[in-house]
Amino acid sequence: MEPAMGMGLVALMGAAATVAGCSEDLESDIGSQSNPNSQVQLAAQVGYPHRIFNKAISGEPPSNAMYCAVGAGVAMMLLNSVSTSPLLAIAVGAFVAALLNGVFSTTAYMGRNASQTRFNQYVYLDVLRNHVLGIMGHAYVTTFCIVGLSYVMWNQNLIGHPFPFPVIAMIWGLAVGAIGSSTGDVHYGAEREFQDFKFGAGLNAADSGNITRYAEAGLRSSIDNAWFCSKFGGPVTGIAFGMTVFLDNWRSTAFQGWTAVVAGTIIVILIIIYNRYLELYARKNYGPYPEYSGDVEA
Amino acid sequence: MSEPAETANQIDTKGVVVGLVGIYIAGISGIPYLAFLAGIGAIFATKMGADAVRRVCSYGIGTGVPSIGMLALGMGVIAAMFGLAIGKMYNAVFIGPIVGLVLALVIGFVVGSLTNKVIKLNIPVMERCLTEIAGAGVLVLTGFSVMVAGSMDFAVIVEKVITTGYIAPIFILGALGILHPFNANLGPDETQDRTLVHSYSCGAITMAIGGVCSIATIDPIAAILSIVIAAAIWYVNFMGFVRLVQRDAGAGYVGTGLLPPGAM
Repeated sequence: MEPAMGMGLVALMGAAATVAGCSEDLESDIGSQSNPNSQVQLAAQVGYPHRIFNKAISGEPPSNAMYCAVGAGVAMMLLNSVSTSPLLAIAVGAFVAALLNGVFSTTAYMGRNASQTRFNQYVYLDVLRNHVLGIMGHAYVTTFCIVGLSYVMWNQNLIGHPFPFPVIAMIWGLAVGAIGSSTGDVHYGAEREFQDFKFGAGLNAADSGNITRYAEAGLRSSIDNAWFCSKFGGPVTGIAFGMTVFLDNWRSTAFQGWTAVVAGTIIVILIIIYNRYLELYARKNYGPYPEYSGDVEA
Repeated sequence: MSEPAETANQIDTKGVVVGLVGIYIAGISGIPYLAFLAGIGAIFATKMGADAVRRVCSYGIGTGVPSIGMLALGMGVIAAMFGLAIGKMYNAVFIGPIVGLVLALVIGFVVGSLTNKVIKLNIPVMERCLTEIAGAGVLVLTGFSVMVAGSMDFAVIVEKVITTGYIAPIFILGALGILHPFNANLGPDETQDRTLVHSYSCGAITMAIGGVCSIATIDPIAAILSIVIAAAIWYVNFMGFVRLVQRDAGAGYVGTGLLPPGAM
């Protein structure tokens, strides 16, 4: 393959991954999946019933691996059996995955809330109806992008990765879930769920479950959470995942063999140094973190 | 957690017997139209795994529920492939699922013992539940692999399920089938019948996706048969799940409304 074509494919995969990362994080935020879910689950038990969606499918990595593996499996079947065009096959695969997402989200919301009846947590059917389609839509975008970039990796005329198509999609699904869980969820879990608390105050154990349940007018819905997270958490997840996909494929396209390994190591070291610098910069400019004496305003 | 309506022994017996019978009829007969039976066997194995997850995770393993489901299929995939490969090696394909099951039970027991004795989680049912979960994992994986390949022969399964990558959706959906029923119903008012009805519907979803994959690997009519049967099982159990949610939520099952009285 020509170097320009290879770089073009790497750029395309990076762009698809950026969109996938963003939509993955927003999908999990609408449903309060993964780590922020523990606070939503706990809220009713400590006396704060809510109207927030409780989408406990599993951690984000397994659930996204499921959507992507199913999407790629269906696309692979269409490519092998009826020789359909790849774009259509990927679109149909992503649609089937979005349907499964809807079913799993519905059962998780109904089941979890019905299991908290003694804490006065209701099963609100309007919450279910309002949120499931938004969740499915975001899951469709994520799956479409991930299955698309996996197809580019797998196709023997393009990148030509030796792994089977659905396995590559499953691995990238795990990756996008892991990055969404570790990057974007912090924005939702730490800031949106506890917006009533002073910024940077930390979460006292006694405040666990005391999530922000009221919006500017009326009760907060999980759609508002996606609106909030789309300003920072979603895009930052997209950039993180896009960079992961782009840099990883760039080093193996631009370099060969051990040189690619060395290039990867240099990238990792540079990112570690940059992160450390960023942390020190933030501590210096937004700190100093006060001793726990109550004498410094947070 | 309510008192179980179905005991662990009953669920295990059904899971192992129906699981193995389904796999053997579908695998040995070689008739593609019977491939769906392996899927039905795997649905019962999913239920067995889901009940074991329910019992062990009710000891407060909250975030560990998804992990334990993945562990099940992790143990299952090794044992299933080993068993089928042994069957191929000795030219006796029919011993494959049994060898895989026995190996999985041993692995599950060892992992359970290590968790309890070495890591000292000290959960009384840990050994038994992990043994059951590993057994469920191997039956789910073997069952759906046989359904997609239409054969119990290791070479055919490698060619049609592993090389093509259909193992990926089977693996991850099989794991979610085992972990999702309890995870979705987690809470103090969880009931066994609701969790188990949900495990049937999760197993049926895996069967339907396996059926979709088998369009490319075995006869399309046989695949459509699997998909239609799986869709029917899913619909009946999903509606059953919704009814049980209505029963358990009682007056809390509302169309819309503000927070309950006293919570505003």
